[in-house]
Amino acid sequence: MLLVAAALCSLFAGCSSPAAETSEAPPAPASSTEPSEQTPELKDVDLAFFTGKVETVDLLDEIIAAYNAQSGGITVEQEYQNDASNIIKIKFASGAAPDVMTTYEQEYVDQGKYLDLSDWNDVWDRLIPSMRENCTDLNTGNQFRVCTNMTMAGFWYNKEIFETLNLEPADTWEGFVANLEAIKTAMPDVDPWFIFGSEAWHLGHLIEFMPHGYIKAKFGATEAKEAMLANDKAVLNFGDPSGAMATFASGLLEVQSKGLINADVLTATNDNCIDAFVTGKAAMFSNGMWCLSSILEKDPSMADKIGFMPYPSMMADGTPMVLVAEDSGYSISADTQYIEEAKSFLEYLFSAENQKKYSESLGSPSAFTDVDADWAPAAVVEGVNIAIDSAANIGYTNEKPAGFSGDDAGRMVQDLLAGRYTAEQFATAYEEAWDAGFAS
Amino acid sequence: MQKKRIDYSQFLSLPALILFSVFFVYPLLKGVGMSLTNWDGMGKASFVGFKNFIDFFADERAISDIRTTLIFAVGSAVLLNLVGLGYAVLMNSSFRGKSLARVIIYLPAIISPLIMGYIWYFLLQPGRGFLYHAFQQLGLPDLIGNWMSSYPSALAVLVLVNVWQFAGMTMIIYLAGLQSISGDVLEAALIDGATPWQRFYRVTLPLLMPAIRINVVTNIIGSLSVFDVIMSLTEGGPGYATESLSIYIMRMCYGSRTGYSTAVAMILFLIILVPVLISMRLTKSKA
Repeated sequence: MLLVAAALCSLFAGCSSPAAETSEAPPAPASSTEPSEQTPELKDVDLAFFTGKVETVDLLDEIIAAYNAQSGGITVEQEYQNDASNIIKIKFASGAAPDVMTTYEQEYVDQGKYLDLSDWNDVWDRLIPSMRENCTDLNTGNQFRVCTNMTMAGFWYNKEIFETLNLEPADTWEGFVANLEAIKTAMPDVDPWFIFGSEAWHLGHLIEFMPHGYIKAKFGATEAKEAMLANDKAVLNFGDPSGAMATFASGLLEVQSKGLINADVLTATNDNCIDAFVTGKAAMFSNGMWCLSSILEKDPSMADKIGFMPYPSMMADGTPMVLVAEDSGYSISADTQYIEEAKSFLEYLFSAENQKKYSESLGSPSAFTDVDADWAPAAVVEGVNIAIDSAANIGYTNEKPAGFSGDDAGRMVQDLLAGRYTAEQFATAYEEAWDAGFAS
Repeated sequence: MQKKRIDYSQFLSLPALILFSVFFVYPLLKGVGMSLTNWDGMGKASFVGFKNFIDFFADERAISDIRTTLIFAVGSAVLLNLVGLGYAVLMNSSFRGKSLARVIIYLPAIISPLIMGYIWYFLLQPGRGFLYHAFQQLGLPDLIGNWMSSYPSALAVLVLVNVWQFAGMTMIIYLAGLQSISGDVLEAALIDGATPWQRFYRVTLPLLMPAIRINVVTNIIGSLSVFDVIMSLTEGGPGYATESLSIYIMRMCYGSRTGYSTAVAMILFLIILVPVLISMRLTKSKA
């Protein structure tokens, strides 16, 4: 009986209850400048580092091992979780937030979960100014994360196919469709545009980069983000039957009905896409810089055959767009007792030497001005630079309604491609889902 | 004077009662409380009464998920019982290789439904899957369609995969029922001139009722809470067309709607309770 009682006590001790019982208001974002109880000297501590970036786990293990060996008592332990964005929620809820993490969500910023890093000038002074801007929370104007890299997203295309058919990257949707048709006619076995629609995030990205991209390019990043935060319908105009969202939906239905995208669009995976591209069975696909390492791993000889081009403008008053956004963001928990130790670890990770390794391993340009890394084959770098110079640079939208995620948007595109919506119905349904996301 | 004896045996049930209270009663009561709040999983929770329940029935996606879950459960239960009974009748007869056949039929049941979903995904992928290539070799590539891309066919695939996986388990229960039927009864029917169909329909089937009841109820309960095979095969797609209530609960919970998702879990609990109560009633009346 005693054993059972002891077990029960320990069970209940582990149970946390909803904050209803504590009824405390969310704390204000913490600041690293506020006086804290811990001593400024580094202590013998164990730091928990949480990440959802599978592609950096091995390299970070290596860097962490080197750091631990020379840190004088600080031991960093990396935890990787595939479903990191959900698991971090459980960690926050149970009061077991990691000291350092790569997961970053606006709702956690609003709840004061991250340490304010705005005064960390040693790091900010080394960062490209636009990247610091991208790390800035619109609500407070402060920075709660440091992004070490940049990422780009656009259309990757097979240069050999384009050269064989004398095609040039198109600036407009009409030109883009003409290219797809030319490929389909000349090479019936090749999928002109490969969409891996079984992965909702990919379809969500198409919305993010094309119709949302149009809004961001037209109104500017800050105004567009503010409009998204405030659900300003005059700017967003999602439900307009002749607006960006309906035009995007109409365009997708057009290429689907003409057979210009893969027939298995709703069941194809990212791996299928890479396979098809590497084997010449897909002429182009949309994705971010992160796919580069997978392509080159499958076939290193692709290095000279990979082209990169901006998203064509679908609207008459639009411009070609390419995503240039922050990547690899690191935040410190507002609740950590080891602020100085966490900063010490991150400063080590942010050193030029480690960032060169990181950038080259990730295949993504560094956001630090003092890091000179060969992050991709020269031909790819050149193509990316041309695309960035020739198109409107758009960033990610973190300012979305809490109840309507990128995956939700992607699932709506699945429905569109499955024939559930017309273009106009899709635009209306998207606006309704967006509005409902604010209400929930 | 006779000393009153204390019956210590009743205390033996105490550990089980405590465990039941801790792992079932307490979470259930906690869940009921949580379902009446707007808790987002982290911050402040406020009492909202039955708003979550009202919102659920006003949500088109949720209603569609109920429909999907019920179709999946009823379709699975019917087919599982028909196929399982067919297998059992076959396995109750004599033929060479019966033991091997029984193992092969039962084998899928010991594999995780999640793994099974992924296996079937790679088998069925149009234009890439194993079955596509196999039929292509036979000159019949059109036999494999894009079945997971539309609602009715994707749901049919899910039901069939579920049936394929668990028919062996249903078969075992039917087989046990068939083998418990006395040979004398069947022999008497034979002497009375009953045809094979009459013997099956008039004698075997009524005597199998307890096995039928167990199978129908367990299959419906299992299928109503389906999660893994759908997650791995269609992820509830295209869109949310094949999303089950269990997946909906998970997505709402991770979508910062913990109070609401708990309310949906309560609704699912009640939905599952119906066949359980019917089964208990039937068992009681039989007794």
